[in-house]
Amino acid sequence: MKKLLLTLFPFWFYAQPNCNAFLYEGDTLQYKACMLVENIENKHYQFRREFQEKYDEALEICPHFAYAYREKSTAYLKSGDFLTWKRLIDKAVEYDISGNLGYRAWCRFQFFRDYKGAIADIEKLDNLSDYDIGYGINGDYHLNITKAMCYSALNQKEKAISIFISHLVTDSYAPGLYDYYQLGVTYYENKNYDKALQAFEKQTTINDFAENAYYAAKVYLALKNDSEYKRYKAMAIYLYGQNKILSDPYTHHYSHVYYTTILNE
Amino acid sequence: MVVKQRILFTLLLIPLVSFCQQTKSSKSLYPDSVGDIAFNKATDNENFELCYEKHIFQYFNNSGGLEYDGDKLAIEKEFAQKFKSVLLENENGLIRIRFVVNCKGATDRFRLIAMDDEYHDKIFPQTITNQLIDITRTLKGWKIKKYGDQAIDYYQYLIFKIENGQLKEILP
Repeated sequence: MKKLLLTLFPFWFYAQPNCNAFLYEGDTLQYKACMLVENIENKHYQFRREFQEKYDEALEICPHFAYAYREKSTAYLKSGDFLTWKRLIDKAVEYDISGNLGYRAWCRFQFFRDYKGAIADIEKLDNLSDYDIGYGINGDYHLNITKAMCYSALNQKEKAISIFISHLVTDSYAPGLYDYYQLGVTYYENKNYDKALQAFEKQTTINDFAENAYYAAKVYLALKNDSEYKRYKAMAIYLYGQNKILSDPYTHHYSHVYYTTILNE
Repeated sequence: MVVKQRILFTLLLIPLVSFCQQTKSSKSLYPDSVGDIAFNKATDNENFELCYEKHIFQYFNNSGGLEYDGDKLAIEKEFAQKFKSVLLENENGLIRIRFVVNCKGATDRFRLIAMDDEYHDKIFPQTITNQLIDITRTLKGWKIKKYGDQAIDYYQYLIFKIENGQLKEILP
């Protein structure tokens, strides 16, 4: 059973800070706390009592050790305990705002579909930063793309599209694995069918998957183009069979489409 | 003789070790694992059996996520058919129902928490929470999760997003 537990450790660990950096900054308390929990994830699963207790010990040494609050919060996040998670992650944000605001935003979006809360965190981070605000913790989406998806979920489609585009045209940005699909879905929901098709075509060149073909089929259905509708629907079914779909081990990937939904379209 | 003494000594030590562990457990702020749901005679089914009481997995430990016959779509359909929405202004937030799916795919030990839009504790009207609990109890399509050939017990949760008393979305 122990072997099983070790095998199944989730891969969602946040890299531990470099403890020596605290020492370099003259923060000896945080250095000591950091050293106490160094590599603890190799010894205890983050749900285990021992894991929580060790971080409590670290917080006794250094009450402003933000990383400890964040690590303690993770098991609560993954078990859906939004009350305890929020109390802990707020502490992490309080003691290290730039290091944790983007993370909190992503978690609000992914685990609790808290679109307004996620937008508020991302915008606050953006205002605090003169650098790239970065990606959600699992790397699927840049936080600006996440913000666009949140506005789309709140049915502010034009605003969402504007954010998608302004980010996608940024010179230094390489489009993510699902960005153009999410843009295309937003165009489709806004009845911008030509733009939606362009986005789905672009997505195909980056990373093709069943949902992308399914939404292209939906566009052709709306345009009453029966042959293309059937072609894309068949492609969606084929890609589903290849397991080329939006997935996530913890939550429903935003805009994921079920197999039966595609079949019954 | 020496071997017998060693065996006896070892046997005598077992309760001592066990006692130490229990003492540590009772002093800790935490259960063995975050979110553990202990059996409660007042609310839980005493005939509900676990294969491994000592370790109940989390639904995502096998990387399969939520696994239900017909996917989450089937769960959404159940709630769409059975949940009777009443417009209740300002009844907003999330309700989480967490429970155990055992190694045979049966469920029990349902527990509920709720929050408002600001992540504060909230008590929703029972017209909402009782329905959610009752419908969740009727869900029979939970898949048996395995490690190798071994069926395991696991924790699953459903989060219900409520807006003005209406069920808007089911997570995760």
